[in-house]
Amino acid sequence: MKSQSQSEDQRATGTSATANSHTPAEAARNGAEIEPPEIDAPEPAPSEPSRGNGRPLPASVLTPPPPAPSPHLDDYRTIIGQAPLDALRFLARDLKGKSIKMVNSTAVGGGVAEMLNRLVPLLTELEVPTHWDVITGGNDFFEVTKAFHNALHGSSYELTKAAQEIFLMYNEQNRDRLQFGEEMVVIHDPQPVGLIRSRERTRASWVWRCHIDLSNPDAHVWEFLRPFVEQYDAAIFSSQSFARQLPIPQYLFYPCIDPLSEKNKELPDAVVQKICDEFGIDRSRPIVTQVSRFDRLKDPVGVVHAYKLAKKYVDCQLVLAGGGASDDPEGAAVLQEVKRAAGDDRDIIILDLPPWCALEINAIQRASTIVVQKSLKEGFGLTVTEALWKGKPTIAGAVGGIPNQIIHKLTGVLVHSVEGCAYQIRYLLTHPDFAKRIGTSGREHVKENFLMTTNVKRWLLLFRILERAKSRRGTGRSQ
Amino acid sequence: MRKPDKPFFFNTSEHLLRIGRQKATTLCELWQALQTCPDDSIFQHTFRTLQEHHFIRQGFSNDFAHWCISACNEPVLAEQLASVDVREFTAIEGLRRRMVGIVDEFLQTHPRSGSKAGHEPFYFCASDIVVLPTPFSPDSLPGFIDGLKQVSVHSIHHHFIEARLRLHLMSNDFSQWLEEETGLPQAADAIERIDIYTSTMEGVRQQIAAIVEQASN
Repeated sequence: MKSQSQSEDQRATGTSATANSHTPAEAARNGAEIEPPEIDAPEPAPSEPSRGNGRPLPASVLTPPPPAPSPHLDDYRTIIGQAPLDALRFLARDLKGKSIKMVNSTAVGGGVAEMLNRLVPLLTELEVPTHWDVITGGNDFFEVTKAFHNALHGSSYELTKAAQEIFLMYNEQNRDRLQFGEEMVVIHDPQPVGLIRSRERTRASWVWRCHIDLSNPDAHVWEFLRPFVEQYDAAIFSSQSFARQLPIPQYLFYPCIDPLSEKNKELPDAVVQKICDEFGIDRSRPIVTQVSRFDRLKDPVGVVHAYKLAKKYVDCQLVLAGGGASDDPEGAAVLQEVKRAAGDDRDIIILDLPPWCALEINAIQRASTIVVQKSLKEGFGLTVTEALWKGKPTIAGAVGGIPNQIIHKLTGVLVHSVEGCAYQIRYLLTHPDFAKRIGTSGREHVKENFLMTTNVKRWLLLFRILERAKSRRGTGRSQ
Repeated sequence: MRKPDKPFFFNTSEHLLRIGRQKATTLCELWQALQTCPDDSIFQHTFRTLQEHHFIRQGFSNDFAHWCISACNEPVLAEQLASVDVREFTAIEGLRRRMVGIVDEFLQTHPRSGSKAGHEPFYFCASDIVVLPTPFSPDSLPGFIDGLKQVSVHSIHHHFIEARLRLHLMSNDFSQWLEEETGLPQAADAIERIDIYTSTMEGVRQQIAAIVEQASN
């Protein structure tokens, strides 16, 4: 799941949107402020996107494509098979007539909105009506929540009385504005966590879905938020290591990818070839790729060094495809560092892509012989998920949520250094049978655990489990 | 072979992973937590992990063994833990004792390994389980084979592996039905001998189908 910081940035520059609707498209019709959706790796559009090593990007990527229609459940049959779809329908059957409310802090932009945009229609198609509301707030609120976000990730922060009051005031305003008539209310991330104060007025089970890593939070901010979290019926985290000790049940929901999205759908080979031709990637020779922002935590310079070490023994090209260099001074600096490290090697192809190039990223990943994600720090690492889904032998840093995806030597290869990465590039390029085997297992691992359909299943399971618990203890609260 | 009196109801189980309160950062802590963690944590990290990794043919048997090699670099202990076959147990308590015993013996012979920190913690988890029906409830062998080929691998795991804990028998739902309802004890025995640790769950499905097809011809 993409970090929330970018959407926080967007909100901090203006008043938030409201989307009391099923999808952001409906939100737009309701007057919500809609911005172009983000993809996971690159950042907002550079004004003059260019190939990092100097040549301009092809004209086909200079403007965003029209949005693709949302898929229906049956569209997934060819991917996951009939039996898992049957299981989803059986799971939903006992929930018919019951509804869910999702609440987050942005209608578009960021991984959470992207995920909800797909999840909400699928749950509704299963006759579990799911409503999606977005909280509102002024710049002051989103400045505070951005600071909270960074503090929860471990940055130091002085929690002032004023910040607490701003946070509480906007949560109270949203409490007055929103209705909670559904049977399950899901609050995403810390911004709307204070809505739990409406719990006693509802019949719902309340769930806090935390998409961020709470393993090392600023103590003051966490102690401020914790009393709210403890009032929920359950909390959900994206990794075991992201969770806190809490007196409520905590569930593990891995982030997911949509196999029918532009980034992950199957592509005809002709499309892959055309895109490679446009970027000057030679498919007749091995291709090693890393897809990520130009960010030091993704260690693109380390990848260049690993490639150069490996190239002493095996022929290959290196593709570094990402974004973030045109709007972000640090990204631009990192891009320069990468170019310096690459030198005049014509087999290193550096692509600073605009954020709508999901199809191009898809094609490059599919054309790759090996995918690398040599992160030094990582959230869950959805670019790893994308590579595994395409059956690519994947080498990745053993950080964040990556070990949940890569079981060393079974579904991919974990590395801890430039030298280790270089060795694994050499090994995988010279042992294609092993590379194919881990690629195949990696795809199965994603199919089982990290697809949107599995995410739908988890929500239905949780809903059933909470409904069962509610009926055991009596309905409890009343409106 | 006779016509079954009762149909075979193919069910499946779906699991929602719960993050537990315990974690281990050393082998000593693992040994302690193994003794006190809930039964459903032992179930999760042994029986359930096989289901989660059903597509891997070799090299992954349970989470405890995997952590001992990947985080603690203790191949001897990892091999010993990996050699435990969950199908030898009809109750979690016995499986827990076996795991605790293996770690205990290892720590007695390798005391310095006990306090060495693994490079990542072991997080004890558990699952909330929901059992679901499937569209398949055959009352004939051809129907059984057809259902077997169409249900998910989770259904195979539910009937073939998890069933032991439900039945409290060294058997499985398929073998029970084949023996009791169709009079095919040899097929039932052959199914029981399938090695789940050298095959994917898809492979297990194919082996079961082949055994029943052969027996019904």
